Amino acid sequence: MSYELNRKLAARREPLPTSATVDPVTAAIIRGGMETICFEAATYLGRAASSAIINQSNERNGSIVDAHGRLAGAAIGTPHLTFVTGLTVRYGLDRQHDYDWGPGDVFLANDPDYGGGHLPDYNVYAPIYDDAGELIMVQCLQAHQGDTGGKDPGGFTLEATDIYTEGMAFPCLKLVHRGVMRQDVFDMVVRNNRLPEFAGDLAAMIGGVQHSVRLMTDLIRKWGSDKVKAAINYNVEHTEKRVREEVSAWPDGVYEADVYIDHDSIGKHKDIRVHVACKVAGDKLTVDLTGTDDRQELVGVWNTFGNSRGYVMTQVVAMMDPTINKNEGFFNAVEMIIPEGCIAHPPPNKPAALGSFHPACEITEAVCVALSGIVPGRAAPQVYKMGMPNAVIGFDQLGRMWLDQGVDSRTHDSSAVEGMDGWGSCPAALGNLLLSQVEDAEARFPMLNMSREMVQDSEGAGRWRGQPGSLNVKQVLAPTTAMTWMVTVDHPLRGMCGGDDASPYSNRFRVGAPDEVHIDVSANEMLPSGSVIAYQYGGGAGFEPAIMRNPEAVKEDVLDEIVSVERAREKYGVVFTGTVEDFDLAVDIAATQALREQMGGERAA
Amino acid sequence: MGYRVGIDIGGTFTDFALLKGNDVILYKNLSTPADRSVGVMSGLQKLAEMEELPLQDFMGRCDAIVHGTTVADNTLIEMNGALTGLITTEGFRDEMEYRRGYKEDIWDLRLEPPKQITPRRRRLTVPERILFDGSVHQALDEDAVRAVCHRLKKQGVESVAISLLFSFVNPEHEKRVAQIVAEEIPGVQVSCSYQVLPRAPEYDRTSTTVVNAYVAPRVYSYLERLVSRLEEAGYGNQLMVMQASGGVMTKEYIEGSPIRVLASGPAGGVIGSAHVGVAKGYKNLLSVDMGGTSYDISMVLGGAAPAVAGWNMHHRYLVGVPMIQVETLGAGGGSICHVNNGIVEVGPASAGAEPGPICYGRGGKQPTITDALLMLGILSPDMQFAGGSFSLSMDGVTEAFQAIGDEMGYSAEDAAFDCFRVVNANMSMGVRRITAGKGVDPKEMCMLAYGGNGAAFAGIQAQELGIEKVLVPKASPTFSALGTLVADPAIDEERSYITPADKVDPERLKALWAELAERARKYFTDARFGAGDITARYQLNMRYPGQNWALNFDVKVAEGLDDMDFVDAGIGAHAIEAFNKRHMQEYGHIREHEVPEITGVRLATSVSTASPLVGHGFNAPSRAAKVSRTRRANLGDGFQEVPIIHGPDLEPGNEIAGPAIIEETFTTIVVYPGWRAVLDDAGDYEMTREVTA
Repeated sequence: MSYELNRKLAARREPLPTSATVDPVTAAIIRGGMETICFEAATYLGRAASSAIINQSNERNGSIVDAHGRLAGAAIGTPHLTFVTGLTVRYGLDRQHDYDWGPGDVFLANDPDYGGGHLPDYNVYAPIYDDAGELIMVQCLQAHQGDTGGKDPGGFTLEATDIYTEGMAFPCLKLVHRGVMRQDVFDMVVRNNRLPEFAGDLAAMIGGVQHSVRLMTDLIRKWGSDKVKAAINYNVEHTEKRVREEVSAWPDGVYEADVYIDHDSIGKHKDIRVHVACKVAGDKLTVDLTGTDDRQELVGVWNTFGNSRGYVMTQVVAMMDPTINKNEGFFNAVEMIIPEGCIAHPPPNKPAALGSFHPACEITEAVCVALSGIVPGRAAPQVYKMGMPNAVIGFDQLGRMWLDQGVDSRTHDSSAVEGMDGWGSCPAALGNLLLSQVEDAEARFPMLNMSREMVQDSEGAGRWRGQPGSLNVKQVLAPTTAMTWMVTVDHPLRGMCGGDDASPYSNRFRVGAPDEVHIDVSANEMLPSGSVIAYQYGGGAGFEPAIMRNPEAVKEDVLDEIVSVERAREKYGVVFTGTVEDFDLAVDIAATQALREQMGGERAA
Repeated sequence: MGYRVGIDIGGTFTDFALLKGNDVILYKNLSTPADRSVGVMSGLQKLAEMEELPLQDFMGRCDAIVHGTTVADNTLIEMNGALTGLITTEGFRDEMEYRRGYKEDIWDLRLEPPKQITPRRRRLTVPERILFDGSVHQALDEDAVRAVCHRLKKQGVESVAISLLFSFVNPEHEKRVAQIVAEEIPGVQVSCSYQVLPRAPEYDRTSTTVVNAYVAPRVYSYLERLVSRLEEAGYGNQLMVMQASGGVMTKEYIEGSPIRVLASGPAGGVIGSAHVGVAKGYKNLLSVDMGGTSYDISMVLGGAAPAVAGWNMHHRYLVGVPMIQVETLGAGGGSICHVNNGIVEVGPASAGAEPGPICYGRGGKQPTITDALLMLGILSPDMQFAGGSFSLSMDGVTEAFQAIGDEMGYSAEDAAFDCFRVVNANMSMGVRRITAGKGVDPKEMCMLAYGGNGAAFAGIQAQELGIEKVLVPKASPTFSALGTLVADPAIDEERSYITPADKVDPERLKALWAELAERARKYFTDARFGAGDITARYQLNMRYPGQNWALNFDVKVAEGLDDMDFVDAGIGAHAIEAFNKRHMQEYGHIREHEVPEITGVRLATSVSTASPLVGHGFNAPSRAAKVSRTRRANLGDGFQEVPIIHGPDLEPGNEIAGPAIIEETFTTIVVYPGWRAVLDDAGDYEMTREVTA
């Protein structure tokens, strides 16, 4: 629990010892086999878990770490979980003798100061040994939990100034010893969680990794552990080589960006800065966060060191050939400088829950902005800039907590890239998060979902435009606690290469009541039955200036009521004849040309 | 003796399998895309001639005509379905575009969106709201429905999907919207979600209904034409149609939800594969079907190909009805070869049957995979093609590949070989995608190749995937048609009913199962099956509170539909016990202190019908096959003289060492270098890899 520990955990690790060699095809087949098993374990978890955030939203991840703590690939699910797994496991690995690791064991870890992300991201992992008793790899399943036993239900405390406020932290806790559940430990963990379905989730995670261990043991027997180790080494080296080839194709230089968070979680400190300098020199990429805010008095905006590495990597990976295998080779090829004491590498015991949103997303966004000029075809930030999602929490007649997690915004942050409009509901690298559905949620929670449509004229304009934002409106049907932290108003998601920023977020509680409130900073209050909440997320940002957009594409947007006739004129410089109502809209070419020339002149001036 | 005829209508060819007693007769001809029933009728005429009967007599003797069609799939591949509108609940206009956040590749920021079947201008909403318990929270605004109809009519919509929240619990609003749509837009096709997929959640149900609406007019018009032609020709029984679930059912049943025929042709092939594979001792099969338009990949595990309902992404659209899992790639003999920014690409566009490949001589100008096979010597202008329907011609083929060669800087033959390599790589990746999700190593499976082009590529595909054994049944080119003869008539439906299992109302359960049983009884008896012949599986869908995915299990398997005595006061306790057992089996744990909930009832019904017998074994004396001639061909190792063998001359026991090309009546089988083919006692080909890398 120190900067020194972080340095040790993050240091480059050696390949696995083996005298075996492997041909590329066999290495690929073994990798495919591992990926398949991992996929099955994550699927098992998704199907067996009780809470919506896992079984509906898919916020879970399966990955394999090798015996040296290197990400061996085989990741499925949520990228930012993929890239933080390694450090969490390394802590346990480095102390395996102290913790009496052995075949059949299953561990739990979530400690922000021991390689982890924020407390809700539980990592349940199991070491896998060959028949000779040699540790070969570790199967991990991570999933976001709806509660962590801290001060506030849900695990997010806006004013928290230390980790203890947020709940229980486990550096490396043994849940299963040599195949036998440690029931006292399991019960203690379950007792410290408000959600009744948590026991089922934890059991599903344990069952998932045990399922994988059985299959992976068969795979090791089939190929022999030396061959498997050689394949892991080959695949990691191959990824490093591919990443370096990509970087080599980028022009040398230093590319910098600043991205800001509106304020911290108590609203006292404004314009919190994330600074990134991406240095490209030959085949070497360095991502340097020096210059990022390090005011120690900031509240809520502390992202764990493990998370910061993961969020940098999520964007770097997204800006490269998607067919490169995701493993430790990325970390080996990319140097990161994350200064100790800044909000991306906090001192011990800082709160960690909200930092996983901000500055985590701004780190990702800043990497994207910095590299957008040299990788325009993949310059879309992989973020969710929603402050914290609206957490709506209540208790049933038996006093059991329920949580309707607010990661149900329909569109957010789907930005354009060069040549393509933003689409879908969220950035691609969050694409495994399946949004919750009204017909599931309303059967469980006293809640009426009133709307979740896209909002006209909320797209980030551009030659290629962002997806419009969406307005979610809900009515609570029982007294309910609602909590939120609002950012992305003063500093919305950035447009790329001259494209417009996404539209700002907004959030209102008690809509239509005399005491309706527009939330500027944060809220944590009990809403009476019948209260309506409405939150609009900002959609995606644009790419290149809007007056370069094909007028026919603007016409299609107007017909689809994504863009109004007025905005088409003001933002895109497109003038029409006909009407939307009669479906006879046509671009007035001469008027459009004249208006665009005028706008171009003004822009240049 | 009655005949049974299986017909599979593909994008390029229409395949026929005639079962009389234990004998199967095969035939195929070109599909007729303008009116596919024309090709069907000319094929039936041909079968009648083979039986030396006038068509009327032949048709009169047919006990059953069963067929699978790719009409719905081709509509989605070519995206030329009906102009479709969607009417949904106010506030929920954009669910189709959100796709629940799903993107096929989470790492690819350049992934293109699927084309919207219902772009926003045709996704319109009406004020109304039903709650989860079926109560009406907000009455339907009928004026708003009429206004929406006005907007859709103005845009010329041909088909309307209606999907309102919680309609699967209370369909009254949907029914009323459907009435108003029928009044305001006369003649328009209407698809209601409460009929197409009566289950939660809303995206799954809405998407399934939208796709149903999009393909429905194409499917209806085809079936109507076909049935009237069959009746005119003297067929007196109901037309049976293959469903994606692997069962067949009557046209009348299919018309309630035509989306059920999506992927039905491929499903027929998979059912046929399982039947043949199991008979020959291979229970784990990788089935690959390469026809003129597409390449379909599926798996048979343990001798079965189960249908899966729920999250089925089909042609990038979610279709929630039960489907045998088949991955379809736009890679067939008709797939067009072209150069895109310096990269050779094949498909997904297809030349289809008309104009078809250049070598068909029907006006096709773009080079296809079939043309490439001709360039490579795998096919030849000397041979009869498709059972002697016509011969292939080299006219214009070399020139077309030379145009590709000019862009790439090499010869026409090099260009053809590159196209061959590209389509092979596409197919291998497709296979890996489908096997990856199942935890199966293709290496440990037997490949079963069928479709007109399946046998030309099977060996090299198997080699790339590490597979050592390939089966090519004699019926290979018309295998999907054969599969329709194997499949049993089946209806598999469910109804939503959400309740804690310890509070279940037995009368409600009875009523729901009775409703499903009545539907099954009606459709089976209309199709002239006895109600007593129906096997009925009374099933429940259950989960623990909070779980999103329900487990499905049999509560009672009955012969006949009348047995409902098992639904008594103890049904709740029985269901909990059965569910816990199933949960333990699937997930290895149960929650002792939680009461699971029932989410729906399901009734799977089927009737067993006669299937063709499959021969097997290797008792015939082994002997080398006679080589009729040689031909210059490139099977991957450059051009060389390759032995050509006339397939119809071969007999059980014949062995053929690669490289060799076997010209069968309806297909060309390539024995690649390092492979050996043997004909088993039934005359089916089994190829084994002799030289392993």
